[in-house]
Amino acid sequence: MKTKLSVLSAAMLAATLTMMPAISQAAIPQTVDGQSIPSLAPMLERTTPAVVSVAVTGTHVSKQRVPDVFRYFFGPNAPQEQVQERPFRGLGSGVIIDADKGYIVTNNHVIDGADDIQVGLHDGREVKAKLIGTDSESDIALLQIEAKNLVAIKSSNSDDLRVGDFAVAIGNPFGLGQTVTSGIVSALGRSGLGIEMLENFIQTDAAINSGNSGGALVNLNGELIGINTAIVAPGGGNVGIGFAIPANMVKNLVAQIAEHGEVRRGVLGISGRDLDSQLAQGFGLDTQHGGFINEVTAGSAAEKAGLKAGDIIVSVDGRGIKSFQELRAKVATMGAGAKVELGIIRDGDKETVKVTLGEASQTSDSAAGAVHPMLQGASLENSSKGGVTIADVAQGSPAAMSGLQKGDIIVGINRTAIKDLKTLKAQLKDQEGAVALKILRDKSMLYLVLR
Amino acid sequence: MTIKDTLLYLGKAILFGLIMAAMFLLVTRYFDSNNLGNTLLQTRANSTVELSFSKAVRRAAPAVVNIYSLSIDKGRPLNSGSLQGLGSGVIMSKEGYILTNYHVIKKADEIVVALQDGRKFTSEVVGFDPETDLSVLKIEGDNLPIVPVNLDSPPQVGDVVLAIGNPYNLGQTITQGIISATGRNGLSSGYLDFLQTDAAINAGNSGGALIDTNGSLIGINTAAFQVGEEGGGHGINFAIPIKLAHSIMGKLIKNGRVIRGALGISGEPINPVVAQILNLPDLRGVLVTGIDPNGPAARAQLMPRDVIIKYDGEDVPGVEMLMDRIAETTPGKKVMMTVLRQGKPQELPVVIDEKVVVEN
Repeated sequence: MKTKLSVLSAAMLAATLTMMPAISQAAIPQTVDGQSIPSLAPMLERTTPAVVSVAVTGTHVSKQRVPDVFRYFFGPNAPQEQVQERPFRGLGSGVIIDADKGYIVTNNHVIDGADDIQVGLHDGREVKAKLIGTDSESDIALLQIEAKNLVAIKSSNSDDLRVGDFAVAIGNPFGLGQTVTSGIVSALGRSGLGIEMLENFIQTDAAINSGNSGGALVNLNGELIGINTAIVAPGGGNVGIGFAIPANMVKNLVAQIAEHGEVRRGVLGISGRDLDSQLAQGFGLDTQHGGFINEVTAGSAAEKAGLKAGDIIVSVDGRGIKSFQELRAKVATMGAGAKVELGIIRDGDKETVKVTLGEASQTSDSAAGAVHPMLQGASLENSSKGGVTIADVAQGSPAAMSGLQKGDIIVGINRTAIKDLKTLKAQLKDQEGAVALKILRDKSMLYLVLR
Repeated sequence: MTIKDTLLYLGKAILFGLIMAAMFLLVTRYFDSNNLGNTLLQTRANSTVELSFSKAVRRAAPAVVNIYSLSIDKGRPLNSGSLQGLGSGVIMSKEGYILTNYHVIKKADEIVVALQDGRKFTSEVVGFDPETDLSVLKIEGDNLPIVPVNLDSPPQVGDVVLAIGNPYNLGQTITQGIISATGRNGLSSGYLDFLQTDAAINAGNSGGALIDTNGSLIGINTAAFQVGEEGGGHGINFAIPIKLAHSIMGKLIKNGRVIRGALGISGEPINPVVAQILNLPDLRGVLVTGIDPNGPAARAQLMPRDVIIKYDGEDVPGVEMLMDRIAETTPGKKVMMTVLRQGKPQELPVVIDEKVVVEN
């Protein structure tokens, strides 16, 4: 009896002695009620220095025609229009993605029209930033600052995200100063919202508000999963529905902007629509999500790769797509010359097709402004006869005021002949001052001067 | 036993203890040097901390449907119907029964149910209950995804929850929050029973699922606290607990409506002033303030200023309990009540009517 007791008490003593150091080591309690207490603080200590505030100043120029009544008073020398200049200030966020080069990603709408961009770093420094390039259709802009000891954020593969993953938004809402909010990934591949021209958003319920634009959405490892861009806000503030541009799309866009100063949009050369349940039923498909090809443009990358009308694109580089818009956003942001593997369904069979994306032969009106400020408002496309056709001119735009009309073909600049958009861009890039455009209009030649 | 014996006994025990402790420490240090201890700890950490809700989402989300209620203009025969209401619903069984809010399908001429896999169905209304704002729809389809239901463990304040629905018709959206408050559980009078959550719920989320982190259904999202016209976003949202919703669903499938008992009175809780005026011993019971002249209470000769203290053999602590008990009584049943009239207890038998549903 005694021996048994002593062995027992010995064991208990041994247990107590060995447990003691373990308890004294745990200075901060890691668990409560047997469950560990999660905190984002350790991850945020590493991540938050990479998120900056972006303050811009600029001038909005609005032009109004002078009413005819007033023209009477001024006579023939009356001013044609009244120019109103309103200075504005804007505030947003940005993310340092390359510490050595000082590259900062933000939204285009944060810096749009800015004359001066100031970046506020986490440690309190204020640095003037240079705009490297911007893409209004996807709403991404790349800035550069010259500063030492920067901290960059690592990008994650946003294609690996799942609905339900934790997401943490870091930004500068309402100019309050850096703010961290948490939530989850609410949905993926969100498009068709009409916020941007190219949409393939991550949706999150982490609180995003005015000023968060351009800031980071990160995962629990502190890696970038998206750039916070927009919210649905019926009352003006956050209701738990925010949108971020996926990190992979940002990576593609930034690489192009860093190299060319602009996005060289990749083009597949198809038109189509969402696969819906009726189409799927009609074709006898199990799949309900994808992009249905209505038409393949002759000579396009899609045609070269053997895509046909009636094919259904279900994946891009092995990742399923939900809608035609998502496909469009993915392809357009990959950049010209990118190689893509498309998963398609043809006659009920699954196939994969490798495509090398072509370069866009057409720019939208907003992109034309990047070619030359006075071309803003014109849609440009390559003419089959050589030159660049003005496919459309927005009323009251700088292009219209320069005298450009729909159907005009730009065939030369100053004394250089223009073959296509590429040469037009190249010619206009280094031009300063007035530029003479040689234009073919209704079989007659004329010159227009862009100032 | 002498002191010597005791000391010897203690000494042996301490010696053994020290030797065993030393051995244990040596062994663990050996394991530590092989990093085995660390890996053991890490795997344990990984298994206890769930770093994504994607598993729960995968279990529940396919069964949460988008509901479009259409109104059809009879004057225009070719009109395919205009969108009149938007909401969400949850497929509860393989037979195609769907729980949603009554206000989602109210006034609808046609109800279209869209599954996440792209399938669309026209659904019929099995039944609805305006009091709890619930309704049950039915669709006919093969391989319908159904949601796992958690009827056993009622949610606690602080539990992490996920809301699934179709806010603003953006497409299926998952939002996360916690249970902010709970009402009482399992009673059928309705309104006081809500779960409150800070998971974002917006227009179009109505009728959708509130799930726990295992992916099991714990509530039907119903309302967001709103100020004026500016919508939600205040982090104060309400869901009907699944226990109530499930019992209402059973009744709607069985009878096409929820049959509730009615007594035909209006009543108030007892406050200290009333207690003093009526000379009551305590604040328990319900003060009768009004009587429906055609109701069971009038027939049983209940009078204003009576205080109901017992209903069907049970003490009545307050208004909510009495409302629930009356609602749960099968119409036609004779029930004994004890009332205090002018300070004296009195037994009154009453035959309960069926409550008339008022559609609002």
